[in-house]
Amino acid sequence: MDVLVLCAKTALACLLIVAGGAKLSDPASFASAVRLFIPFRVSWPLLSATAVGISLGELGVGLASLTLPAITALNALVFAIACAFVAVSAVGYAFHRGRSCRCFGALSQRRFDAAGVLRSAVIAGVAAVALAHVGGAALQLGATARTLLFAAAGILAVAAFTAARVRGTRNEPGPEVAAQ
Amino acid sequence: MLLASSFVVVALVFCIATVLALFGVTHASMSGAEAIERDGLAPGMLAPVWSLVDSTGQVVRSPPCTPLQLIMFTDHSLKAFPSVVDGLREVMAQERLEIVVLTRRRNELAEPVLRLIGLDGISVLTGSPSLYAAYNVRVTPFAIFVDSAGRVRASSLVNEAWQVTKLLQLADLPLGPENLAPRSRFWRRAAGAGV
Repeated sequence: MDVLVLCAKTALACLLIVAGGAKLSDPASFASAVRLFIPFRVSWPLLSATAVGISLGELGVGLASLTLPAITALNALVFAIACAFVAVSAVGYAFHRGRSCRCFGALSQRRFDAAGVLRSAVIAGVAAVALAHVGGAALQLGATARTLLFAAAGILAVAAFTAARVRGTRNEPGPEVAAQ
Repeated sequence: MLLASSFVVVALVFCIATVLALFGVTHASMSGAEAIERDGLAPGMLAPVWSLVDSTGQVVRSPPCTPLQLIMFTDHSLKAFPSVVDGLREVMAQERLEIVVLTRRRNELAEPVLRLIGLDGISVLTGSPSLYAAYNVRVTPFAIFVDSAGRVRASSLVNEAWQVTKLLQLADLPLGPENLAPRSRFWRRAAGAGV
């Protein structure tokens, strides 16, 4: 059971890091998805800042969850974020069906649909599993282990950022360039 | 009871697996025929703006002064595609069309070889990998038609003469409202030019 909980915890941390890193490669795109959920007019800079803030938040929580596993409050925070995913998917499905959710930036072309709600529910379920108590010894990290995990999380974030950027560029190249 | 720091092992395994998955997804998206179909720029998109000097010292610009410009992304290897050369000869006569050959990098062979195969009067320009990337071109010979307003009118990999002439026909079609709307770089482009 403990292994299952550890797997759930690390899987969610990786998911948050990848989602945050990928969104950061394309903040304007994610901002357009965020705009769908704001019922009043908001200036683009504010929207863009909100999108970057959400992306950084996901990245930060994923990073913290991976490098500070003994802090149980983070599990609750991850569960709350997973519940927010369910709510966003459900609202998106109800009001913006078929629109791109940009949940993983350019890494995924997923849209708001029933399958998306189901996926979010599964993520929330996994987050609920991660809430379970694990023997303290398994989560005790020394400075070296913490550094190692921090480096791994950093590599993961950079990989997600780069992959999303590559896919984004291939999907739609930049419109203007000056040469010579 | 788990051993101390079991979390580290599990976390590292997940991180490595995720990085490998990201690599696989990216690699898959960049290879294969389907990926090549997505090369080039979609009709209606703003094309890169540049000015380059050819070997005669003439300045060539894009967007062009003529109604239409055909940018051929190729080099001396075009001689291996006689059908494409035939297609280019067919459309060369059109006064409204300016044809330029854009090489990926400096290529001393390109101009003499192109003259040899009968493509006189076409400016051969030295481009760069970044300019090719700006047009989203990886595989040659690739043709992109740009109008005087700087919008892409047609774009595709070409292997046959009829593809060049078909692209010209497509380039002559008026752009629809959906093509003329300002296009965010985050919209997914339609695949290929249908040639």
